[in-house]
Amino acid sequence: MIEVQGLRKTFHDRKKGDVPAVKDISFTCRPGQVFGLLGRNGAGKTTTLRMLATILSPSAGTAKVAGFDIIQKPAEVRRRIGYLSGDTKLYDRLTGRELLTYFGTLAGMEPSAIPARIDALTKPFALDGLLDKRVGKMSTGMKQRLSIARVVVHDPEVLIFDEPTSGLDVFGAREVLALVLDLKKRGRTVIFSTHIMTEAERICDEIAIIEKGSILKQGTLATLGAGNGSGSLEDVFVEAVKGGLDDR
Amino acid sequence: MTGRTMAVFRKELIDTLRDGRTIFAIFVFPFLLYPALLMLMGYIQSKNDEEAKAFSVRVGIVGAAQFPAASEKVAAVEGVTVVPFDQEPATYDAADVQALLVLPPDLAGMIARGDSVKVELRYKDADNKSSETAKRLKPAMDEVRQALTLEWAKSRGANATAPPALTVERKDISSKKELGGYIAALLIPYLLIFMVAAGAMQTAIDATTGEKERSTLETILASAATRAELVIGKVMAVLAASLTGAVTGILGLWLSFGVLAAHLTVMKSQALELSVSPEKMLLLFLTLLPAAIFLSAILVAIGCFARSMREGQTYATYVYMASVFLGLSSFTQSESVPLKQFFVPILNTALLQREILTDTVQASHAFAAIGSSSLLAALMIVIAVRLFSNEQVLFRT
Repeated sequence: MIEVQGLRKTFHDRKKGDVPAVKDISFTCRPGQVFGLLGRNGAGKTTTLRMLATILSPSAGTAKVAGFDIIQKPAEVRRRIGYLSGDTKLYDRLTGRELLTYFGTLAGMEPSAIPARIDALTKPFALDGLLDKRVGKMSTGMKQRLSIARVVVHDPEVLIFDEPTSGLDVFGAREVLALVLDLKKRGRTVIFSTHIMTEAERICDEIAIIEKGSILKQGTLATLGAGNGSGSLEDVFVEAVKGGLDDR
Repeated sequence: MTGRTMAVFRKELIDTLRDGRTIFAIFVFPFLLYPALLMLMGYIQSKNDEEAKAFSVRVGIVGAAQFPAASEKVAAVEGVTVVPFDQEPATYDAADVQALLVLPPDLAGMIARGDSVKVELRYKDADNKSSETAKRLKPAMDEVRQALTLEWAKSRGANATAPPALTVERKDISSKKELGGYIAALLIPYLLIFMVAAGAMQTAIDATTGEKERSTLETILASAATRAELVIGKVMAVLAASLTGAVTGILGLWLSFGVLAAHLTVMKSQALELSVSPEKMLLLFLTLLPAAIFLSAILVAIGCFARSMREGQTYATYVYMASVFLGLSSFTQSESVPLKQFFVPILNTALLQREILTDTVQASHAFAAIGSSSLLAALMIVIAVRLFSNEQVLFRT
């Protein structure tokens, strides 16, 4: 479960002064649900997800992730999340097995439990042939499968995906989305940011349209579609962003 | 020490050991480059010696007619052509000689009156050929002095035909072992500091700024490991790399000066007996540890602060140069070093190690050096953790 309450983040820039990146956003994401943050580049998606992953501290407001406050109990939060960003990479000089062992240990898994967990992940993530290969020698698709395996190695309750398909071809992207849906089926809480409408339509149960750090619209596909009557998420998105800009 | 810290340590070590640049710096460099450099030095030196013996030089003698014995002695030196001058040339360079022996005017009168006589051999240290000429003329100059002494004795009524057989000779009676010990005391502390700094640089920047540049930083920041666990794991890996660098560096030197130099003709002149007892080696290692932790932590802190590998390497180079400078400063210290110098980081370690190697350790010096280095190492780790916990530093662009 993720409960976000009035979350804000302001960055200080020497030339520009205080620059608000996220302005007072609130939403809830339940177990067994994929919550989509849909927005353009620079809309505030990454900053929001980084705050939920406790990589950044909020300037105001707070959130509870897996029942723990991100400000009060960041270590407890990190123990229960898996975080993947499309920009993040893996260590080229490690093999797949070494990488999963490393992140399993960082997550606090018992060393003796890690090999069995890697075995369990091998089939669903098609890791055969990757475990003893160095990351640097893997294809982009292989790396992305390993990245997701890395995120779930400790079987976290909450998964935070920040544009995980960025840079992938259509096959790689479909593979990633299938894995995300599988996590949802297994009752995990998934928050997923993207700027690709079809992705959001395909996997998100609830979507928040975010622009310039604020949530402009939020709801299920049906409720969002009913809002403008077109049924197309792209239309809803464009209308919402245009409206948001006009309001400013 | 937590399992997570050890995991970071292991991961960074694996990463380091699979990096060709680090392998080259830590393992290949000391065992190939040092012997190669030593062979080159030996070759150049022997060539220089041969050339120094072979080349012909012109030596001017001003007032040669007053004292023909001077010309005879100088002309007897191999490869020397005497150029007599009645009076001093306007400038040294105008004389077109490699050295100029100046006899004072009225030499005979001065001797007869018992005045002090000063004969000058003018040469240029800045000119290799001139400097070599002066060295070559040294025995001849002794003979000129003896001949002048004889003249003086005769003028005082002595009945002598040859100078008295009185000689004071300088003779270095140091054994190879003693010479090796002296050079070890001077060089090893400096080299250890230099090698620790060099060994730490690459790993520290790779483990910190490298995470930013390769976009792997967020993966560990979002993990359950605390910032302190991550930083300490990284400092430990940097420390391991730096100490390995120091050990392989010393082994490379021992291999070059102690083994290869003794067996290869071209390197014979460099052969030294660099024997340091195991107890002293252990003490050197223990005294090096706080300084190595300090250097590792400072480089990790720099890596956390730097925005890019390039920026990190630039800052790290300053730390490296400062370490080398402080290590070098230990060369110039006299035997009695004031206590306050044992509070200066890096320098204190080099000075204490020199005391260990020369059996002159003072308890106050050891406490000051190890205590202050340990304190600084701890402080630097705290700073590194703070920097690694500061999102404005980690994500600054």
